[in-house]
Parts: sequence; C-alpha cells; structure tokens
Amino acid sequence: MKPTNIDLAALANEGVENVAMKDRRHFLKMGLAITGVFAGGTLFSAVSVANKVFASPAEFADKYPYKPHYSMIIHQDRCIDCERCVAACAETNHVPHEGYRTRILQRDVPDAIGQKREFIPVLCNQCNLPQCTRVCPTKATYKNTSNGIVMMDTSKCIGCLTCQEACPYNARYFNEERQAVDKCNFCFDTRLAKGEKLTACANACPANCRVFGDLSDPTSEAYRTVHQIERAVWVLRPEAGTKPNIFYTKG
Amino acid sequence: MKYLKSIIAVVIFLPMLQAGQAVAAENSAHGGDIIYTKPLQSVTFSHKSHVEETGLSCDLCHAGLFEMQALKIQGKSNFTMAALAKGEYCGACHNGTMAFASTTRCASCHSGVKGGRLAQNHE
Repeated sequence: MKPTNIDLAALANEGVENVAMKDRRHFLKMGLAITGVFAGGTLFSAVSVANKVFASPAEFADKYPYKPHYSMIIHQDRCIDCERCVAACAETNHVPHEGYRTRILQRDVPDAIGQKREFIPVLCNQCNLPQCTRVCPTKATYKNTSNGIVMMDTSKCIGCLTCQEACPYNARYFNEERQAVDKCNFCFDTRLAKGEKLTACANACPANCRVFGDLSDPTSEAYRTVHQIERAVWVLRPEAGTKPNIFYTKG
Repeated sequence: MKYLKSIIAVVIFLPMLQAGQAVAAENSAHGGDIIYTKPLQSVTFSHKSHVEETGLSCDLCHAGLFEMQALKIQGKSNFTMAALAKGEYCGACHNGTMAFASTTRCASCHSGVKGGRLAQNHE
C-alpha cells in the first residue's frame, strides 16, 4: 500500500472555533453545572461554586445531567484486597480470567509510619466527558443519555482498541469470546435493569468500601459524601479533564 | 588415602549442611509468617515483627489466645473482625491501647489476595 502523504502543517486547527454552536452550548451548560464538582479540585471549591450558581442544594441536584446520575464513592482505606468484588464482578458479568472490569491496585510506602500499604480499587469512571466514546469510530461505545453510564454495543465494536488508548483509567479490555471491547457498565444489564439497587462489586464488598448511589438524589449517601467539606474527596487523574464519576475518600 | 577422602568430605560438607539448616531455621524462627485465608484472603501475621522487633513473649498469645498449631483458629466461625472489635483473638492486644485498634489501619495486616499469592510464590 502506498503511504499517504499528509501535510501536517496544512491540517486545519481543530480548535473551539470549529465546534458546532449546539455542541458548545451543551458543553457550557455541563460546565456550569458540573465543573465545580468534577474538575477534580477540592470539594471546597465545588460546593462554593454550587452555592454561587444555585440558590439551594435541591436546585443544584436538579442540574445533574442524568437521572439517576450513577456514581461510586470509594472509601480507599477500607479496601483490604480480598477481591470479593473482582470475583463477584467476573461471575455476574462473565469476565474471563485474563480480563477485568474492576481491579485492585496496590501502593507500598515502606518509609511510612504505621500502615505501609494501601489498596486502591479502580474501575471505569463513567466520565461525563468520556474520551473513549469520542474516539470510537463506530459509536460502539456511547454515553447513555438517561443515566450517564458509558456503555458498549458489542455488535458495533470492530476491535480497533482506540478506546483503550483513549481511556485515562485503563478501564477497558478486549474480550476474546465476544470479539469486542468490554468494560464496567455499573452492572446495568446484569443487575440494575433487573431492579437491583447495587452493583455486584458494591454488593459483595465486606467492608462497605464501595458506596454506589445516585448523585442527583440529595438524600443518597453518595450525594452526602461528595457534598461535604470536612473530609477530602478526590478523583483519579483529574488532569485528564474527563469529569469522572468515581470519587475517592478515606474514613 | 581412603580415610583422607572421607575426612575431607566431612570437613567440607558438614559446615555447608549446617549452614543450610541454619538458614531454614531462620526463615521459620518463632513460627515465621502465618497467612490466614479465612474468612477472607489474606491476612499476614508476622512472628518476626511481633517477637523479634516488638519483643513480645510466646506466652502472651500462646497461653490461651492462640494454639501453637498454625491456622487452627481459622476453623472457628467467629474468627471475624466483629469478634476482634470485642477484644477476642488479635483484638486482645489490638484494642487501641496496647497496639493499634483492630478497627484501624486495615491494610497493615490485610495483605490481600496479592499478598497471599506473593507469600505462596516465596515458599
């Protein structure tokens, strides 16, 4: 095959001036409502932004783009790597041995005083600005418009693995059996759609490390954990700017 | 000449044999590491850190609290964190006054599936 000559200098700038007016409006709308919370800054700024923009917490909740707005709060210090979540996930979602939808990372700090080891559960962050869906050439992966879960249409997936490259959280693997990329979808097809309230991992956790809930519901534990300023709440890789929906805290 | 060979063999190999035994004994000195896998994987109890580094006596635990036979305690149905919090098993010392409370610093003792696997590979 003859290599194509691309004149890089002559390529059009894909800057914001080329974004359609509708997209830009959509982005701004999301930004106003969410930037504070999901920017990965401290929650202090999030709450203050929320208070600046909205008159009451109830109004703020109304502005969450999805209903329910699924989220998971991970109490990192409670994880003991028993991997019951990983096993429950694999059984529920038929995840093969070589694949994963959720994993437990380990961090060792030999010089630390007291505890020298911590475990960090990771899974798809169900980002509000997902890069995986942006790069998918066939729209096989998409953001569900009602609940915000990043889903897979396996019949459309051509296995190009571009989404894997784009994901800042390394949350995708190629499933040989399905001949498609597979990822966490908060057990939507296997549990939530059947009326279960929790994901398999949250249900299996013996230490209540994973709190699954609806961020658009001000009475939920997820909402109450994210919207307080006494204890730090953070997201992984905030610099990726994808506005993730998995939050981490300790205690 | 015949005797000389056997004397040389004894002189050379006996110390090596003894050294080998010494290394093996050192690894399991004071019971070595105990890896609990029930009720969940895995908890590492280090005799080294408790006996050698902290200087606790064998009797402190092995007079009623834990039997000498490793892992026998796993058979008990109440070998759980709830029991520990009530002052049983590890909780007898890990109560916040003698040693850090069993309701804190989870991953100090819980080495997880990864820790259990690592310990197996070292054996």
